[in-house]
Amino acid sequence: MDHDPFRWGRPRDDIYGKYDYSIANSEHYFQEHKDKYSEFPRMNTQEPIVTGTSVIGIKFEDGIIMAADNLGSYGSLSRFTDIERLIEFNDKTVVGISGDISDLQKIERLLEELKIESSYDDVNIEFQADNIHKYLRNVLYSRRNKMDPLWNSLIVGGIGSDNEPFLKYVDLLGVEYASPALSTGFGNYLAIPILRKFLEEKGIDETKTDSDNFRNIKEEEARKCVLECMKVLFYRDARSLNKFSIVTISKKNGIKLEKNLKIEDMSWEFAKDIKGYGNGQRY
Amino acid sequence: MNSIANRLACAGSERAAIHDQSFFSNFSTNNLAASLSPSIALPPISQPTKFLRANTDDSVNPDVKIKIAHGTTTLAFRFQGGIVVAVDSRATAGSWIASQTVKKVIEINPFLLGTMAGGAADCQFWETWLGTQCRLHELRNKERISVAAASKILSNLVYNYKGMGLSMGTMICGYTKKEGPTIYYVDSDGTRLNGDLFCVGSGQTFAYGVLDSNYKWELSVDEALQLGKRSILAATHRDAYSGGSINLYHVTEKGWKYYGNHDVGPLFWETKQAEGSFNNVVT
Amino acid sequence: MSSDYSNIKDSAPIEHRFNPYSDNGGTILGIAGEDFAVLAGDTRHTTGYSINSRYEPKVFDVGDNIIMSANGFSADGNSLITNFKTNLQWYHFNNNEEKLKISSAARLIQHLLYGKRFFPYYVHTIIAGLDENGKGAVYSFDPVGSYEREQCRAGGAAASLIMPFLDNQVNFKNQANQPLRYLSLNEVLSLVKDAFSSATERHIHVGDYLEILIVTKEGVRTELYPLKRD
Repeated sequence: MDHDPFRWGRPRDDIYGKYDYSIANSEHYFQEHKDKYSEFPRMNTQEPIVTGTSVIGIKFEDGIIMAADNLGSYGSLSRFTDIERLIEFNDKTVVGISGDISDLQKIERLLEELKIESSYDDVNIEFQADNIHKYLRNVLYSRRNKMDPLWNSLIVGGIGSDNEPFLKYVDLLGVEYASPALSTGFGNYLAIPILRKFLEEKGIDETKTDSDNFRNIKEEEARKCVLECMKVLFYRDARSLNKFSIVTISKKNGIKLEKNLKIEDMSWEFAKDIKGYGNGQRY
Repeated sequence: MNSIANRLACAGSERAAIHDQSFFSNFSTNNLAASLSPSIALPPISQPTKFLRANTDDSVNPDVKIKIAHGTTTLAFRFQGGIVVAVDSRATAGSWIASQTVKKVIEINPFLLGTMAGGAADCQFWETWLGTQCRLHELRNKERISVAAASKILSNLVYNYKGMGLSMGTMICGYTKKEGPTIYYVDSDGTRLNGDLFCVGSGQTFAYGVLDSNYKWELSVDEALQLGKRSILAATHRDAYSGGSINLYHVTEKGWKYYGNHDVGPLFWETKQAEGSFNNVVT
Repeated sequence: MSSDYSNIKDSAPIEHRFNPYSDNGGTILGIAGEDFAVLAGDTRHTTGYSINSRYEPKVFDVGDNIIMSANGFSADGNSLITNFKTNLQWYHFNNNEEKLKISSAARLIQHLLYGKRFFPYYVHTIIAGLDENGKGAVYSFDPVGSYEREQCRAGGAAASLIMPFLDNQVNFKNQANQPLRYLSLNEVLSLVKDAFSSATERHIHVGDYLEILIVTKEGVRTELYPLKRD
């Protein structure tokens, strides 16, 4: 402890070592001390390797729709083009996962384990979407507490314990939130504005979760809006693919997972006017 | 440190991980012994103390997220009529005044006082913990604990955590038959000193200035209380991290007695008027 | 990860750049009255400049006529509140459903927060309720558990905008010849609404809806008001 009145009570450098700017919230100070960067210890970072981009989701009349493309990127390389990122848990729950693909597979195994472990009992436990969400949030939060995160953002969708449409986000930090329209990653900037505009036009009150609030939104319209979002994402998200999956869960018809969909009615007319958009224009 | 971190860093099954929150389950059981020796979670990384400092030391990096309340002037001195304890009441988090109404004298029991400087939570938590240890001593030994023993329990405790980032500078003040009025200074380095007069905190130098030049053993009780109050006033005037109001205590063989809360605002002008002092401040 | 054949990985330290904290914005405000207490919070949930949700409540009725909010990093906040609820349930099991006093609830929260002294919960916690004499009580906590009972306290993103207003309007600071007195519930509610609409004007992480929880001896009730959404 420092006894100098100006730094009274603070940790002393000779005991605790120099303040380590590379650990926390030092973006601003990092800039100032850039010249000293070489003094900072080299960090062997854990980071995502093969990644999946945005997952988007929206509520409608009596259910939810979610979509995610099939790309697994290795940095800027389109490495895998057949990754299924919408995980069907049961006929009431789907988990859409973006971020690291190996951690996605770990989550898949955890969900499978959960399903198997709970089926040993005579009394069959039927998990609802909110139960699965809570389970995954606890997994992700306890991994962050171990400083060994599962590097993902996910959206859990389906029908909740209250028998109403359920849509909720959770990420590698354990942060969770619900909203009538959700997205992970890049979709927060490209898809969310489109989805929110759609909801606003339908007069949705985001403070209410009962399906009556969503009675104006028909499945077909919501699906059309989601397709539009996938198209916009493909136009501008450089880590996206024109091949994707859509899942619909409704109280009436249960779960329906459509795979290998292609983005349709694309127009690249705008591209020719944009410098550097592969139009051969150099300057 | 690394061995502690490694013990915690081992990866286990997620199922076990979610329930692995032993730090709080300690408080929910009926096990009294367990709840008296709280276990404190560590970040499972190789340098927990660097991590803590990087996230909490706002004196080096004002951008840190977690700002722990700091900054203080406290004093206690022995004189012919017992002990006077005087403290300010300001808590700061960076340059933000988090509170002007902090109780920096912790009433450990009717005969023991502890003062608070440094980390507010460290002092509050461990001095109330000290209170339970003192009560246990009474129950086991059928007599009140000596100030020497009480202060040693605290200094041994903080010594166990040496180098982990605790910050406290405290004076344990009390009266027992065999010791008379006694003050022990205990800080988070593990220092424990018996003495007649201490000022602790970022404003300590200002308080010492006034206290040293007016202190004598023969002070009457009223004079001593006045001097304690006046010394803190000087510190609140010159140290930006001290202020709010002054809390006054007098300790005798009958235990401690509270001598009120004195707002620095009006007190300053009253003092200036009465003494003809603070002539650097023009009215 | 270690296998059955080797534990080499487990004994080698791992360095991390992973930052386990983030800030989800929002602000909360608690005021105690003579026979009531309120705890209000906006419902906007953010990371950086993105609004994640316009309605994600963060003030909760945790039982025993106590309302609680932990503002800051929402994952830590939610965990703290569930931990509190779990402990409260254990308290009921062990003590024949006895009601937890708000002063005891405050001490429990100190222990929960201090239990993570070296890996802190990044939250500013406030609880509100009624004390043993039926008087309104607000307790506020720093991230590692130091706490204090107060008449009023703002926490979170816009605390520095609201707190000076509260000093002036609740504790009558810097108002000449204004004796301290308890405010009525209606006065408090209009202060809360003014505080939040003003904070919404000037802070980007505050807005969308204002949710006010009110504790009286009759129980807890909730009021919801719209705030600006820009």
